[in-house]
Amino acid sequence: MKLLNKLTLFITLSKLLIVLLFVALLPTLVNRVSFQYTNYFLGQQKKEVLNVIDKNGIDYYLQGDSTYSSYTMLMEEYISLVPANNKNVHDTIETSRRVIEEDTLNYRILIHELKSDNKKYILEIGKTTSTIGEYSKLLQRFTLYILIGLILVSLVADLLYTRILLRPLGKIVRTKLLNRKFPFKEPLTPIKTSTTDFQFLDNSLIGLMAKIHEAFDKEREFTSNASHELMTPISVLQSNIENMMMEEGVKDELQEKLLAMMKTVGRLKKIVHSLLYISRIENDQFARSDKVEVLELSEQVMEELSVRLESKSIHFKNKVTPGVTLMKVNRDLLFQLLYNIINNAIRYNNENGSIYLSDHYHHGEAYVLTIRDTGIGIRQEELATIFNRFKKSGNEEGEGFGLGLSIVKSITDFHGMQISAQSVNGEGTTFNITFPESMMQKKEGH
Amino acid sequence: MKVLIIEDERTLAKEIKVFLEKACYLTDTAYSAGQAKQLMVENEYDFILLDLGLPDGDGLTLLNDTKKMCLNASYIILTARGKLEDRIKGLDLGADDYLPKPFSLLELQSRMQAISRRKSGNNDPVVELGDFNIDLNKRTVRFEEEEIELSRKEFDLLSYMLLHKNRPLTRMQLSEHIWGNFSDDDSDSNYIDVHIKNIRKKMGAFAPVDWLQTLRGIGYKIKI
Repeated sequence: MKLLNKLTLFITLSKLLIVLLFVALLPTLVNRVSFQYTNYFLGQQKKEVLNVIDKNGIDYYLQGDSTYSSYTMLMEEYISLVPANNKNVHDTIETSRRVIEEDTLNYRILIHELKSDNKKYILEIGKTTSTIGEYSKLLQRFTLYILIGLILVSLVADLLYTRILLRPLGKIVRTKLLNRKFPFKEPLTPIKTSTTDFQFLDNSLIGLMAKIHEAFDKEREFTSNASHELMTPISVLQSNIENMMMEEGVKDELQEKLLAMMKTVGRLKKIVHSLLYISRIENDQFARSDKVEVLELSEQVMEELSVRLESKSIHFKNKVTPGVTLMKVNRDLLFQLLYNIINNAIRYNNENGSIYLSDHYHHGEAYVLTIRDTGIGIRQEELATIFNRFKKSGNEEGEGFGLGLSIVKSITDFHGMQISAQSVNGEGTTFNITFPESMMQKKEGH
Repeated sequence: MKVLIIEDERTLAKEIKVFLEKACYLTDTAYSAGQAKQLMVENEYDFILLDLGLPDGDGLTLLNDTKKMCLNASYIILTARGKLEDRIKGLDLGADDYLPKPFSLLELQSRMQAISRRKSGNNDPVVELGDFNIDLNKRTVRFEEEEIELSRKEFDLLSYMLLHKNRPLTRMQLSEHIWGNFSDDDSDSNYIDVHIKNIRKKMGAFAPVDWLQTLRGIGYKIKI
């Protein structure tokens, strides 16, 4: 999950949790508040009553009667004053029922014992609990609205700010990691951000890429220099052997040895040439500006290889769609690419075997070229490494794949093409080359 | 024919010298650009074999400096650098050919002969080979009036062997000539055999081709 989504989810959920918690606690809280308030209200009333009695005497209420009671019109509040009749009453505030005018109602009641004119009276001041409840409901609703409003505002603010805060990260990923082609040649510019963590990340990545590029550069330079340095000594060796072979009176035995040496020099030459070729591809020393018709190119490759096909009586079928043209490629490299793959297909084929060249293309899709042979195949455990340099094949002939497929890989990488190989041991190998859609130019009518 | 070999690798210069003298060329050797200039002032050369990496200067500069001085000379650049730009620059400056190291001495000779042929005009390019006439310019093989069709590679092979007639040629030397330094890693170039077989078949239909000899374990030779 993306960091932004995670944060969004977390913020939303945590706020939701707060709301839920609050909603759950709200009735209790509000009830508590309103009861407290009611108690306080009743206490105030009591004080007032006592004040009045102090000033005017108890008769102000009793008016000659032995008891006094009064209530508001809807009976939400009442006050009563009755003689204690030797009952001992403690001052309390309680919730209990009272019957007033034949209505039984729940009241919050303050009970107070008071003495006046040497007589004990019980003062009760009550307030219906339903009024208290209504009051607390209102309070609850109001609090809830404010809460939800605040949460929404803060949620929006949080999400917006998170988005802005995380923007540099997305930019780092986009510019520094995605869309970057090995070996990271283009220089990088640091992104603008005030978050030091991102600055650190960005700078680390830039440094890392530069190091990779530098190391890769050094390796390429080394390969190129080493190969060039080898050219002159090899040339000396070759000339030496050639001159010796042409000398008069060289015995057959010596001639054979010279020939073996010559072959070794030949192998050495091919390795160095291949290495140089790869380093030239990796150094971008080839232009990508040719237009190549696949069918025509494959026919040229086959012409070049016809002798080899013949010598093993291999059947070749070219089913490439006529007219499919590739743009912005290097013709020589593509030639070499097909040459190496088909040459391998011949070399690792059986007598009277077959090689099929076919393609798959729909407008708007990538173009896939398939080279299938009926040769000895490649073992599964070796398939992953066939494009590596100097990987030895485990087949009984003991001959390595050498650098042919490494060159193939360099060429596909250079063009941004994909190559994959499938193989069944003993039945043959299939190579698929996928050309990006941007390379395609298909003639009308196909 | 007089050849100036400009090559700072002394062993290589010596091998080239030995080889060319056997092929009846007169040679001088220079190990530096300074030495080369000196020799060019004193002598006239038909061929100048020029190494690009010299201890006292770039071969291309030397080529530029001396091109006017030796108008008749043909320049062949020999180099281990093998960069495309060097090659284009060299040919732009008036070099006649460009041979990347490591090269076969036979290939060097064949390039020299090709240049001679080009420069001397159509100076009897038809060579007799047994009962056949081979026209190196028109690239045709005739038996009496009949033209024998050889493929491009077969003709290249035949003319190369003809140039180095009476000399054993290995399969490697032959394949290097017709395929160049093509980057495939076949260790053995047995495909040459198929070409030779075809040449024998096509030409043998008209007249004996016993001049084309197989040297067991080595390669082939045209013996005249």
